[in-house]
Amino acid sequence: MAFTSDLTIDEVLLIEEVGFEPVDLVLGSSYFHIGWQYSSWSANEELTQISAMMLDARHTAMARMMEQTIAAKADGVLGLRLEIEREGHNAEFTAIGTAVRRRKGDGVQWRRPRGEPFSCDLSGADFWALVRGGFRPMGLSCGVCVYHVAHQGLAGWFKTVGNNVEMPTFTQALYEARELAMGRMQAEAWALGGTAGLVGVTVEEGSHGWDSHVIEYSALGTAIVPIGDPAHEVHESPTVVLVAQDWEPPPAGAPAVAAKPAAT
Amino acid sequence: MANNPNQQMQRPPMERQVLPQHAQERIQRMRGAQGQRFFTSDLSVKEFLLVRESGFECAGLVMGSSIYHVGYQRGNYYENMEMTVLTQALYQARELAMARMEEEASELGADGVIGVRLKVNRHTWGDDLLEFVAIGTAVYARDGGAALAAAQAPQPGRSPWRAPNGTPFTSDLSGQDFWMLLKSGYRPVSLVMGNCVYHVAHQTLGGWFKTVGNNVEMTNFTQGLYDARELAMERMQAEAQMDGAGGVVGTQITETSHGWDAHVIEFFAVGTSVLPIAIAAQPPIPQLVMTVNE
Repeated sequence: MAFTSDLTIDEVLLIEEVGFEPVDLVLGSSYFHIGWQYSSWSANEELTQISAMMLDARHTAMARMMEQTIAAKADGVLGLRLEIEREGHNAEFTAIGTAVRRRKGDGVQWRRPRGEPFSCDLSGADFWALVRGGFRPMGLSCGVCVYHVAHQGLAGWFKTVGNNVEMPTFTQALYEARELAMGRMQAEAWALGGTAGLVGVTVEEGSHGWDSHVIEYSALGTAIVPIGDPAHEVHESPTVVLVAQDWEPPPAGAPAVAAKPAAT
Repeated sequence: MANNPNQQMQRPPMERQVLPQHAQERIQRMRGAQGQRFFTSDLSVKEFLLVRESGFECAGLVMGSSIYHVGYQRGNYYENMEMTVLTQALYQARELAMARMEEEASELGADGVIGVRLKVNRHTWGDDLLEFVAIGTAVYARDGGAALAAAQAPQPGRSPWRAPNGTPFTSDLSGQDFWMLLKSGYRPVSLVMGNCVYHVAHQTLGGWFKTVGNNVEMTNFTQGLYDARELAMERMQAEAQMDGAGGVVGTQITETSHGWDAHVIEFFAVGTSVLPIAIAAQPPIPQLVMTVNE
């Protein structure tokens, strides 16, 4: 059967090596109006409605992509990317990835506990390495926190001008905001059934056309679980290799290590 | 000249850092409030697998930050000089962020932190404010350090993988480099750093007249930047020696102007200090491969 995918040739070979085949390029998007919430000028506080909206927009895009995945009778999604394109106060959230299917037909074991397909932002090479290492992905988890950082009063400004001092209120505000985003991502990973942990976490800060005191922290990572089937615990100790080509930095997003399929 | 070896940076006292409430909640959940350990990590899949291969497990993503108000110092227009106020500010703020990250790792019961990144952010809402963030993945030895403890003098009461002063080890090495380092018979001790903020003298008009149209070295500028770099490296080295390390690997020297006057530059040296492990390890011999990837 013909398939469409944005996987490279070696990625296709690697996922076939662990018993999967690409099915289709799947996509979901949502278009949101980014609203506004009043916040006190001199308070450090989370803008809970905006946080919820920014998370909802991502979830909606991912859920629509998942519907396509289910319709394609696939067992999971690889290389999931979340993109945000903003025009004024409106933003389009897009989720795109390659749906894959287990060739042997035992894909149900690879799905989430409630039967939904798995999802991850891993490349084909990373997916191969993860499965060979005895783990499988459950889902891309995200956590969001939109935070308003207090303005400093004039008296505060007078105290600090010219001195080397830490600004504890600011430190605490951003520290808390980051921790909240990471904590929520963790809770989501747990809820998805990724009970071993999260790999490849990124924490990004963004400002989507808001006042400069409003910052969004978004944490994203792939939740994983052990496979449990000893057939996948092929722990080959890595060998150190010297690449014969002259070294040049790999392009962004390319697999950093030339993965060697297990000897048959 | 500010090249005075006695003028070492003072590390802030090793006080226990108080973590924000949400950090404590997150750490509690990673420690296994739900019955089993649960980690988060910003390691890639390959790094994660190599860390497990080295006999370690991920404990969790740890972070520390500090927003710092950097004081003001005027540089003498015609003088090469270190801006000690700025040097101190940037050093102290990084140390604070690192100390909080180490505290998160300690709370997690980890032996160390790998892949540490130090970032400096500027936000539009604070002109003289710099935010320093340290972030990395905390790891712990699967055997609780038994193999290493057997190989070296016992230090009761704590994991042998920790740094000599009892804090978790820290390092900016990637998972791949960590695996290689252990294979070669070394272990990381701590992320060491040194910095120097320097004001480079402006050239006088007379000086300009003398050099215009000639091929000459600008000894004044050369010396200024040379000194500044050497100071940053010397301070980094002193930190490693203070920690009882045997050397520093992966040193990087960067220069940044954090939005200051063009003549004021920070030189920042950062690396991982290492100690040999008593077990005589044979470093793996590389195998020559030709990749067919593009």
